[in-house]
Amino acid sequence: MRRFSWFNATSLTFGFAFLYLPMLILIIYSFNESRLVTVWAGFSTKWYGELFQNEQFLDAAWVTVKVAFWSSTIATVLGTMAAYIMVRAGRFRGRGLFSGMIYAPLVMPEVITGLSLLLFFIAIGLDRGVLTIVLAHTTFAMCYVSVVVTSRLVSFDQSLEEAALDLGCTPFDAFRSVTLPIIMPAVISGWLLAFTLSLDDLVIASFTSGPSSTTLPIKIFSAVRLGVTPEINALSTIMIGLVTLGVVSASLVSRATAKKARADEQAAG
Amino acid sequence: MAHANPDAVFAPWDDPVEKPLIQFKNVTKRFGDFTAIDDLTLDIYAKEFFALLGPSGCGKTTLMRMLGGFETPTEGTILLDGVDIGPVPPNERPVNMMFQSYALFPHLSVWDNIAFGLKRSDMPKDQIGDRVEQMLKLTQLGKFAGRKPHQISGGQRQRVALARSLAKAPKLLLLDEPLGALDKKLRHETQFELMDIQESTGTTFVIVTHDQEEAMTVATRVAVMTEGKLAQVATPEVIYEAPNSAYVADFIGDVNLIEGTVEVPAKRASETSVAIKWSATAPAINASADTPPPAASSVTFAIRPEKVAISSTKPKAANVLEGKILDIAYLGNISTYHVEVAPGLIIKAQATNAKRVSRRNLTWEDHVYLSWTDTAGVVLTA
Repeated sequence: MRRFSWFNATSLTFGFAFLYLPMLILIIYSFNESRLVTVWAGFSTKWYGELFQNEQFLDAAWVTVKVAFWSSTIATVLGTMAAYIMVRAGRFRGRGLFSGMIYAPLVMPEVITGLSLLLFFIAIGLDRGVLTIVLAHTTFAMCYVSVVVTSRLVSFDQSLEEAALDLGCTPFDAFRSVTLPIIMPAVISGWLLAFTLSLDDLVIASFTSGPSSTTLPIKIFSAVRLGVTPEINALSTIMIGLVTLGVVSASLVSRATAKKARADEQAAG
Repeated sequence: MAHANPDAVFAPWDDPVEKPLIQFKNVTKRFGDFTAIDDLTLDIYAKEFFALLGPSGCGKTTLMRMLGGFETPTEGTILLDGVDIGPVPPNERPVNMMFQSYALFPHLSVWDNIAFGLKRSDMPKDQIGDRVEQMLKLTQLGKFAGRKPHQISGGQRQRVALARSLAKAPKLLLLDEPLGALDKKLRHETQFELMDIQESTGTTFVIVTHDQEEAMTVATRVAVMTEGKLAQVATPEVIYEAPNSAYVADFIGDVNLIEGTVEVPAKRASETSVAIKWSATAPAINASADTPPPAASSVTFAIRPEKVAISSTKPKAANVLEGKILDIAYLGNISTYHVEVAPGLIIKAQATNAKRVSRRNLTWEDHVYLSWTDTAGVVLTA
């Protein structure tokens, strides 16, 4: 074992404390017996119990999961298509502009994305509800999927697709039976990323949600304005768990992708 | 006709009745400003093992990719069995290709890789298994049927790629540098395997290679390409012994090139003899050509090193030059002597090492005689 010097140990402790102490306190207080958030009165899971009695929260949670599932699924399909076309189209006039436009929403302030979507939905007369949130989330999650899938496709040996065509596949069959299985890990990790992003989005959702369709982050945000309750702590703890699960599995899948890519390269060599 | 007589040499290109399998007619391919193939016309016959040979960037791969359907000609037509295949997409061509990178599907087993094309053909399902087994047997891969491509060696992957491209029994098989990734010894073995397979399946093979030795070994005919054009299309023997230009002579094998001008023929000389003046002092080179170039025209005389004899005593021959040994390249079975016959002109002579090293009598700085007959070299006007 390598021993940490006093300096390294300190900076490590401070760094992680900075990152995780607030969350740790939130998790600890979610198991607080007392209704007062800042006073510890013994361990209890009663707030979790009460959370599952609270229909408003449960409704919001259900809406959030639905939105996350559909938006990430649509975003994965569109993002994969966008990535495929950008990588395969080769060089054409305005290629840089096109790929820039696919990635621009990544750096666009969320407030602006949200506002423009709101104006757009009003303009086309679409009532705000689950559908509008799904569309909005699809819009921004698609860029992330596209980035992840592009990075895999760039290292993809194009002669594999040519071989499939040569052996009698139609272009679509070649994509379905050769390209897609090989880039699948990247597609899955793109989906997980999109799901996680949709799960914790507050800004865009609050622009595009309607009165009947509140997502969990919106619900928490509005509840907190009336005062923090241990119930919210419990809910947040569950969400931290879910997001962690999503991020960890996404990174495990992309690690598998990298490993597989190496095996492919060896197979090609 | 060639197949009327079983003893006849396989040479459909010399038979006016024979119809070519592939016809390139004035094909040009441009990529932007770059002309990869320049107004090329070429016939390839059924059952040929045809080699496209040339340095990288000469257009040989483009030519092959046009046969596969991955590139379309900018101008001209390509006929396969008399049918214009320009508009036919790759998946509908009776042509299969073995890729340089092998392009094995990494997510499928060896068995499934070979069956891939068959599953997409109109072959009945119950026959696919038999066909795959047959291909596995042909390429000696039976033991590896269940493995994934990354679990087998480079040589085995090469054979899987070959089996996969042969499985659909294509009219034409394209091989893009098929042996490039193998080491030298394996490459030699595989060359003979390829020839056996080509013969036993009766498939027409078109191979792209930059390795002249490989082209000479496997091919019935070789097309030497340069800058999008064909320099010469002929059998390996003709390419080697009767190149039509200094470029081809220099590209294939080792050669001595001597530039000179044709002398006015002597009265009693035969109709085919050519005398080439190459130096102000040394005697002219006596050579022969079927149609001798006119007097005073400038020509290049090409002679292979193995046709130049080297000796320490003056021999009797049509051509004898004196010189000094500058260098000896000892290759084991043969040695190549670099002999300076005139300031700046070095002629390479090759001799078989029939004797052991200690008994050979030629060494550096030795004064030697080089000699060759009047038919040993070629007179080139291009």
